[in-house]
Amino acid sequence: MAVSETSTPSALAGQNLLGRFFRKEVVLFIILVVGVLLLSTQTDKFLTVDNILNQGRLLTEVMLLALPMTYIIITGGIDLSVGSILGLTAITLGYTWQNLGLPLEVAIVVAIAIATLAGFVNGLFIVRLGVPPLIMTLATLALYRGLAEGISQARSVRGYPEWFFELGQRNLLGIPTQLWIAVISVIIAGIVLSRTTFGRSLYAIGNNELGARFSGIPVNRYKLLIYTFSGFMAGIAGWIFVSRVSTTRSDMGTGLELDVVAAVVLGGTSIFGGSGTIVGTVIGAVLIQLLKNGLALSGVKGDATIVVIGIVLIGSILINNFIQRRSGQTT
Amino acid sequence: MTPILQLDNISKQFPGVKALDNVRFEMNTGEVHALLGENGAGKSTLIKIISGVYKPDSGVMRFDGQPVVFNNPREAQSKGIATIYQELSLYPELTVAENIFMGHAPKRSIGPLKVIDWKTINERAVELLASLHIYDMDVRRKVGSLNVGNRQRVEIAKALSINARVLIMDEPTAALTESDVEQLFQIVRLLKERNVGIIYISHRLQEVFELADRVTVLRDGQYVDTRPVSETSEENLISMMVGRTIDNLFPKLPAAPGKPVLEVRNLNHAPLTKNVSFKVHAGEIVGIAGLVGSGRSELAQVIFGMTPAQSGEILIEGQRADIRSPGQAVKMGIAYVPEDRGTQGLIKQMNIRENASMAVLRSLSRASFIKFGEERKLAKESIEQLSIRAYSPEQIVNKLSGGNQQKVVISKWLASKPRLLIMDEPTRGIDVGAKSEIHRLMSELAVKHGLAVLMISSELPEVLGMSDRVLVMREGQIVAEFDRAEATQEKVATAMMSSGQKAAVTA
Ligand SMILES: Nc1ncnc2c1ncn2[C@@H]1O[C@H](COP(=O)(O)OP(=O)(O)OP(=O)(O)O)[C@@H](O)[C@H]1O
Ligand SMILES: [Mg+2]
Repeated sequence: MAVSETSTPSALAGQNLLGRFFRKEVVLFIILVVGVLLLSTQTDKFLTVDNILNQGRLLTEVMLLALPMTYIIITGGIDLSVGSILGLTAITLGYTWQNLGLPLEVAIVVAIAIATLAGFVNGLFIVRLGVPPLIMTLATLALYRGLAEGISQARSVRGYPEWFFELGQRNLLGIPTQLWIAVISVIIAGIVLSRTTFGRSLYAIGNNELGARFSGIPVNRYKLLIYTFSGFMAGIAGWIFVSRVSTTRSDMGTGLELDVVAAVVLGGTSIFGGSGTIVGTVIGAVLIQLLKNGLALSGVKGDATIVVIGIVLIGSILINNFIQRRSGQTT
Repeated sequence: MTPILQLDNISKQFPGVKALDNVRFEMNTGEVHALLGENGAGKSTLIKIISGVYKPDSGVMRFDGQPVVFNNPREAQSKGIATIYQELSLYPELTVAENIFMGHAPKRSIGPLKVIDWKTINERAVELLASLHIYDMDVRRKVGSLNVGNRQRVEIAKALSINARVLIMDEPTAALTESDVEQLFQIVRLLKERNVGIIYISHRLQEVFELADRVTVLRDGQYVDTRPVSETSEENLISMMVGRTIDNLFPKLPAAPGKPVLEVRNLNHAPLTKNVSFKVHAGEIVGIAGLVGSGRSELAQVIFGMTPAQSGEILIEGQRADIRSPGQAVKMGIAYVPEDRGTQGLIKQMNIRENASMAVLRSLSRASFIKFGEERKLAKESIEQLSIRAYSPEQIVNKLSGGNQQKVVISKWLASKPRLLIMDEPTRGIDVGAKSEIHRLMSELAVKHGLAVLMISSELPEVLGMSDRVLVMREGQIVAEFDRAEATQEKVATAMMSSGQKAAVTA
């Protein structure tokens, strides 16, 4: 958006230019590029089309969950139950298909519906009873995972028909099928957040919920909507997950919420609410995925990878704070 | 005698605006020095330089004759400069005592640990309040549960907890009713006797004459003059401030009320709305007077759907309206300019454009896509209509001066083109010139566009000057109603206080 068409003093223009150039997203993007270049010097298996596309495949679930998570964190909330909802979706899908004998197509729909309902329940308690999102979704993190384990009875489901793997393991026009879903979702989520009244309202809620209410914004309805949306996206991600790994187990998606929140926060969304963008989230998610992969290919062990990601997370936040203070955006 | 505080050639530049340009200011001990100027003239900026919030770009500040540079508010405090800022800064969830000693709580040692000494904190808070002749406040109460007048007193106690030699008060009375103001004045006079120097900022000129010894006027960030109050007059000060004279603070057009736009019948919402019934007609301005805590804002918020009515009826243009949320109220053509701009009226971290359009976003969008061009246009119109002092519609509201923030709230709700406009302390923090403009606008909207206006104000002159009818509230009920002709200061003030309360109201 244009800063101003009115006569802007030159000092101001200069400062804004600096401020705009060093937007969080740009900083992150630079970190991303530098990281990729560094990693590509370590191993020649990293910067290949095949590897990058494959990383896109692996990235899809986190990316899909990170979109509603961005919305939620912008409003000052959080949803820790997404990994569990994903697991519940997977189990529901497998169970209704294999044990209840539903057609697989119907099982998919049922599973996603259950996931959406799970998100709706989160939202309902948060909005109607005023349970803090952290507490509510921490509770359902355990609850939904418990449900998944109860239904599965520690059995996994296999033997899905060939067509089912189309989504998770094959390509469409040379690109992993699920990556199309991710890309389209990203574009829609980005436009909705930056261009619509709904998106604007999310920022207002995150900055000053009372002020948003006094402005006539349907705060409760919007909050309910984003937690429900989060459940829905966890359902889609669960379906993709099962299709990608060919089996269904009740521990699927365990700990995924951490990756998702890390991607969103790394992407510059304030954990206190009120600011953040989808572009940032996308860069954050890609950065984490490529780091993981690049480090693994360079022979770094799993535990060390997590340490590196933690350092990048802290480092990027420090750099951002530094730049923000320099460009005078905070007083 | 050297002045306790002396500033010379102080300048301060913000992005897009020179807030202070070669300003000087000086003050003696035991003096009440008023600082006047229009909204955005630089008053708050100047006192923030004195209190160490900002560093000046250039200029010298002397304290007790010695040049000083404050890197942060703490350094200024350690010299004995205490400040009450324009936007209240207490923690609602903490107690009175905790707020007063925030940041410098008395401690005691348990072995190697230093822990907060709760007993002493509460005792010292009681002593401090007593030294200000405040004996009726429970220091263990949460600040959030106090009314504005009492919160203001806690602010003062907090400021004085550091043994102040200079006390700065930035619009301390903006949120207070007459009786609270009188309380505050007593405290100020008490401090003056103790040789504390007081910088007093206010847009209410009567207060300046009542309280101040000297007055310094700023205009557009520039120093205009310093004079003894005894050698100035109200017209004189106004023309120094705005560079012209203002002939009428309450430009009221004669009203010809039409059909009722709002009618409420036996409205209830515990605890502060009890069986309220009244009407507001098209083209009419109805003022509600009452003490702080008499339930005026609560009533407004019931009508606006913030706290929906528990019983009773609301009729909008004769139709029963079941208003359960502000969103519904807005759809029915009701606008509400709330009492507290910081927490209710604005999203301060967002810019003018986003705030100005917030209540009308729906009509500024197609298929819920915001039409950014129209939004920008609206923001520019708002800035022009109320002469908001900003360098661009993209300026973050938090970085506007207090009065200009208030103008954004008003324009935000004018933009919704309401049938019923409820205004709660609409001109809080607004300078005399702009006040007269806003009053003129209010009257014009009512008379020429048939708007029904319900105005709550703690400033009795404003209520009397603008209202066609005055309702008086006390303890959640409407206790009196006066026509414009019969409403006088005495009658309204008497109705505001019950006979039993009259004695107690100073408490
Ligand atoms: N942090 C800031 N960043 C940018 N501009 C600022 C900032 N603080 C103040 N300003 C600008 O400086 C000018 C002076 O503001 P200041 O708050 O000192 O006015 P004021 O005299 O206190 O007005 P009011 O009576 O409305 O409170 C205004 O134009 C304001 O927009
Ligand atoms: Mg000010």
